[in-house]
Amino acid sequence: MSYVFYPGCSLEGTARDFHLSTMAVAKALGLELPELPGWICCGSTAAHQSDPLLALALPAKNLAAANGETVAVCCAACYSRLKAANHEIARDAKVRRQVSDIIGADYDGRTPVRHLLEILARDIGPEKIAEHVKRPLAGLRAVCYYGCLLSRPPEVTNFDDAENPTLMDTLVAACGAEAVDWPHKTECCGASYSITDVGIVQSLTHEILAMAKAAGADCIVTACPLCQLNLDMRQKEIEAKFGESYGLPVFYFTQVLGLALGLEPKALGLSSLVVDPMALVSRI
Amino acid sequence: MSKTVQLADAAADFVAEVEHASAANLAACLQCAKCTSGCPVAARGDVKPHVLVRLVQLGQRDAVLGCRTIWECTSCQTCATRCPQGVSIAAMNDALRQMSRAAGKVVAGTRVPLFNDIFLRTVRRLGRMYEVGLMTSFKLRTRDFFSDTDKVPTMLKKGKLSILPPRVAGKGERKQLFDRARRAGGAK
Repeated sequence: MSYVFYPGCSLEGTARDFHLSTMAVAKALGLELPELPGWICCGSTAAHQSDPLLALALPAKNLAAANGETVAVCCAACYSRLKAANHEIARDAKVRRQVSDIIGADYDGRTPVRHLLEILARDIGPEKIAEHVKRPLAGLRAVCYYGCLLSRPPEVTNFDDAENPTLMDTLVAACGAEAVDWPHKTECCGASYSITDVGIVQSLTHEILAMAKAAGADCIVTACPLCQLNLDMRQKEIEAKFGESYGLPVFYFTQVLGLALGLEPKALGLSSLVVDPMALVSRI
Repeated sequence: MSKTVQLADAAADFVAEVEHASAANLAACLQCAKCTSGCPVAARGDVKPHVLVRLVQLGQRDAVLGCRTIWECTSCQTCATRCPQGVSIAAMNDALRQMSRAAGKVVAGTRVPLFNDIFLRTVRRLGRMYEVGLMTSFKLRTRDFFSDTDKVPTMLKKGKLSILPPRVAGKGERKQLFDRARRAGGAK
């Protein structure tokens, strides 16, 4: 199967290590991810809260540019917006016409959108991934944190079980690590309230960190730039605010996979993580 | 004790308006409160999600459009995913946020509308997010110069910030797209 890659804005900014590790892992697996030329922002939360048609037109503009090729996405928020646009446009002829008028091209809402987790765990498959593992991550206890937007709402994303997704767990297990079961896989981290009302993020993220610790994990694995940023960059201030100590490295799933594939920490951007993972990495 | 409430025409209009803008299937709500049970911000909100739906059903325009809850909703979609009646509360909240702004009823103190405006202006101008520009504008407008300033050196050291804005061709085309979306929305 061939794909065209939509990085999304975060992968050029705060989540540059997600981008770097995605490309490194893709190369190691022989997966080609050519970038969609001239892509623009999906509009994110700001668009769907402000302007319903703009919130469909921005994703549609990108999806139309893919010319029917399957669009591969890493960011959970971009994934959610691209999927939502497809859902609305494909089911309603009036919306399709309105959006087509806005973007200046007829777009039918049928360009397939796949999250990299779906590509790795479904299109390639954990067995095939396991064959590429050079350095099994034995002894690593990871909780997989999916956040909100991959699995909800399920009729839009059709990603995995909405309450108990397991795609990332199967990949982590294929790497030889233990995917620890825990109840906070799809709890919300507070997302962009990190900027507008940080108290929301601190209390929600605190609960996620506390549960990860209680589950006996020694790291958290994520699939969303905003989840990763909130759990990682705000971890220290949350520890101070709530009088706790977590010290949990927060990886992107591509970084964990990359380590198992034998790639160097530098090639996976591990130095971008705020909670230093190197003691843990050298232990496994 | 039960009480019969007659909806005035204005109240019924409000229900229809929200339903039209969101297609949220609001009449189906049974008040089971499953949405509130799973809502990550219900504990802090001034109106619980199931109560908000009830207030909309009862046409309580001012209470609904002026509440804080719609500006604390994280759009996590847990409510919509778990609702046994298929009520799209998250979609309702998007519509309420837009109506709240249009009616000038936005609760004092929320910084979400300003953030959304700066975000979309950035995308219109540059095509992609530019975090340094976004945060600078946001801090200037909110006059909040000191929160998170400790994060900047960390982000620079960790390579999480691009100093230069993104360069994406097609500025004129983007401007047209935004303008057409706005016109089409207004003409609805």
